[in-house]
Amino acid sequence: MSLSALAVSARLRSTSRSRRAKDRALEVCAWASLIVALIPLVAISLFLVSQGIRSLSLEFLTSDPPGDLSATGGGIRNAVVGTLLMTGLATLIAVPTAIALAVFSREIGGRVATSVRFVVDVLAGLPSIVVGIFVYSLVVVATGHFSGFAGAIALAVIELPVIVVATDELLRLTDRRIDEGTRALGMLRWRSFLSVFIPTALSGIITGIMLAVSRAIGETAPLIFTALGNNFFTLDMNEPIQAMPLLIYRNALNSAFPAARDRAMGTALVLVLIVLAFNLLGRWIARRARPADQR
Amino acid sequence: MTSAPIRLQPPPWAGATEAGTGLGADRANEVGPEAELAVELDRVSAYYGARRVVREISLSVRRNAITAIIGPSGCGKSTLLRCLNRMHELTPGARVQGRIEYHGLDLYAADIDPVAVRRTIGMVFQQPNPFPTMSIHDNVAAPARFNGLVASKAAENELVERCLRQAALWDEVKDKLKAGGTSLSGGQQQRLCIARALALEPDVLLMDEPCSALDPIATLQVEHLMAELKRQYTIVIVTHNMQQASRVSDETAFLTMGDDRAGYLVEMAETIEIFTNPKEQLTEDYVSGRFG
Amino acid sequence: MTTGPQAHAIRVLRRRPGLNQDGWFRLALRGVAILVVVPILWMMVDTFSVTVPVWERFGIPGFVTGLRWAPSFTIYGALPFIYGTLLTSAIAMLIAVPVAVLIALLITEILPPRIRSSVAVTVDLLAAIPSVVYGLWGLLVLVPFLRPFEQAVAGTVGKVVPFLAGPTPGPSYFAAGVVVSIMIVPIIAALSREVFAATPRLQREAVRALGGTRWDVIRTVVLPIGRSGVLAAVILGLARAIGETIAVTMVIGNAPKIGASIFSPGFTLASVIANEFNEANQELHPEALIALGLVLLVISVLVNGLAILVRQRFARGVGRVA
Repeated sequence: MSLSALAVSARLRSTSRSRRAKDRALEVCAWASLIVALIPLVAISLFLVSQGIRSLSLEFLTSDPPGDLSATGGGIRNAVVGTLLMTGLATLIAVPTAIALAVFSREIGGRVATSVRFVVDVLAGLPSIVVGIFVYSLVVVATGHFSGFAGAIALAVIELPVIVVATDELLRLTDRRIDEGTRALGMLRWRSFLSVFIPTALSGIITGIMLAVSRAIGETAPLIFTALGNNFFTLDMNEPIQAMPLLIYRNALNSAFPAARDRAMGTALVLVLIVLAFNLLGRWIARRARPADQR
Repeated sequence: MTSAPIRLQPPPWAGATEAGTGLGADRANEVGPEAELAVELDRVSAYYGARRVVREISLSVRRNAITAIIGPSGCGKSTLLRCLNRMHELTPGARVQGRIEYHGLDLYAADIDPVAVRRTIGMVFQQPNPFPTMSIHDNVAAPARFNGLVASKAAENELVERCLRQAALWDEVKDKLKAGGTSLSGGQQQRLCIARALALEPDVLLMDEPCSALDPIATLQVEHLMAELKRQYTIVIVTHNMQQASRVSDETAFLTMGDDRAGYLVEMAETIEIFTNPKEQLTEDYVSGRFG
Repeated sequence: MTTGPQAHAIRVLRRRPGLNQDGWFRLALRGVAILVVVPILWMMVDTFSVTVPVWERFGIPGFVTGLRWAPSFTIYGALPFIYGTLLTSAIAMLIAVPVAVLIALLITEILPPRIRSSVAVTVDLLAAIPSVVYGLWGLLVLVPFLRPFEQAVAGTVGKVVPFLAGPTPGPSYFAAGVVVSIMIVPIIAALSREVFAATPRLQREAVRALGGTRWDVIRTVVLPIGRSGVLAAVILGLARAIGETIAVTMVIGNAPKIGASIFSPGFTLASVIANEFNEANQELHPEALIALGLVLLVISVLVNGLAILVRQRFARGVGRVA
């Protein structure tokens, strides 16, 4: 090998050594970041399970909390029911509205649709406490009292953008050829959406709904201003009503008392299990819907 | 390909359409030269915004015949076809000039419902587009059901069978009507789309390069189908395949792109004349393969 | 001819007067859009009108820069909370952004394809945990855990830099910043993942073909092309950090003043509202809290709007390159 060739090959090798070192360093840092991020996940899971599981019992789920937070015993029935009622009503309001907005965006199109989408995007970014304040001004002040209805409306406002974005993204993917096909058959537009476009997008829409619900179930801040919370069991949505996140919050503020601490932990465990169930179910539905080569 | 007989339906204007009333109305009963023409175009131009893509085309489409529109790619054949069922105007900024008459009626008059036009003048596309979330049965039945054309489940099943037979698909799918529309092969899907279009009982069927996405066997099946269908329907087919045009059509219109990048009609005549004895040099050049 | 093809055509094709069904459909859709957008706008107007007495009393600049928050004396000023929001968000971003971007790079560039989605889903699970649970864990586990570390810093660097000085009671800006950083990592990571995954294959493979390492690919192709997309992801993370309420309120110590160091207790805009609202019965107290909410809203809309704009720029950019 000539001298110059030796020099060149030496330079190549040394450059690549330093680049390889940087490559290794990057890999190490990236793995470290993953571990750093996953430590809290593991820690929280262990925390919830180890501390919360001793509170779980049938009584926990079927009886109401004691009036005094520091007292032991009782359960979280009113909170579970309240969460289910409010989230259920919120979803019933949000889903048709969101789908209608997404259909509006696709069908009418143009500048109007872009501005509606912009409003929805801004709504999506609002802190949930601001949503709570809005609904407070509109509903609680107008009706004169806190209520489960107000809470449901606040949760609906929170769910809405998630479902609109999911539905809109999926309707965007509608095959142009299918759309042309429906027009060439003289199908009315509402019929085309109802019987062709939405069913094709359905599994993605359901995923969006599941993710929206899993988010709404865990929300606390908006409920402080709307549902307020209630120590008693009630099915009356026109009154203040309890919800699981609210219960955790109030008990956590009194966590000096062991009873309150335990109650908060137990409720947190139940809440996280429910939220994770919806979240993972939604993702599973999305995976099943995608064609096999994209999974 | 089915060997079962195809039941003819009387044309819609012959009175109440009851299933199974035997052979169609006798064409000899209708008098007058206008009975022979389904669609007439008079100096039709099509625009996308300010750009003209089809220039002043005048031609006539005969009833119960297959009219082929041939020409090099990009010369506006599909655009012209889409003017006939008012699909062209769906593109933002697109418009049509000139007069298109359907049995003497101006299709673009202000008091004409374009949705109704598309039910009467049906279309089959180049790429088969069956509805993915519907079964084979529903693909055929649903559009008819939505338009109120079937009164009962029995009538619906009967319609599905009739249309699938007309599309020469019945024997292949009769045992799996509940299977998804997209579970069929390309050629079968295209015939399914034809059956679906027929379910609306259109008068005219527009076909935009219906075989270009199909293999040769499926192509032949569809061509055989067209020959049967023309007994009852008027067919206009756009194709870039000259051999196909010469095989199936009765009349052929040859379009080409002018210097202004818009398509214009060079010549239209009986198919046999176009391919053996064309009047224009351009036509002669095209059909003998010298360009395009 | 009154029978025959033309008569049939006339019968079938003529429009009925008035709107056809498609027209009604479009009208109904517009109706729904109005029904949704109008109440939202109304809510904003209503909320604003509630706060008018506050602006009249202090003036907008006076309120926004006011240093004192003393409900019993009917003195309200937003600055301590704006400070708290900015400080905790800054701490959160300093921790979360490098971690999240590195995780995104790990998933799209380094991990073998088969385990990519499982790892991605696991990281996304962090986002599924409700804020109140983060707050609970933060309060009971993280804050006590961080204290020795805080004391170490305060005892050494803190002697020289007042910003890092003690005392370290536990709940503090710092604790809140750490908790929020954990919460926003999944958001920034998920969006950055999408951005990196959208890098054109052609360019990636070109660098590899020239003998480049993964780091070279990242350095020369993935990061430059994805720059604005990652920026959008970071801004969205910031937006989330600004608005985080419940987790913050449980670990920040709830002191309505500007703390001297990051280890002091404090408040953010969001957390003070949550903390004081239910017991706000002094004069102008609820209105002042809602006014804080409006300040938060304005900041949030600005940040989110910025994110949307940057994201659009990214979308256009990728389109051009690809």
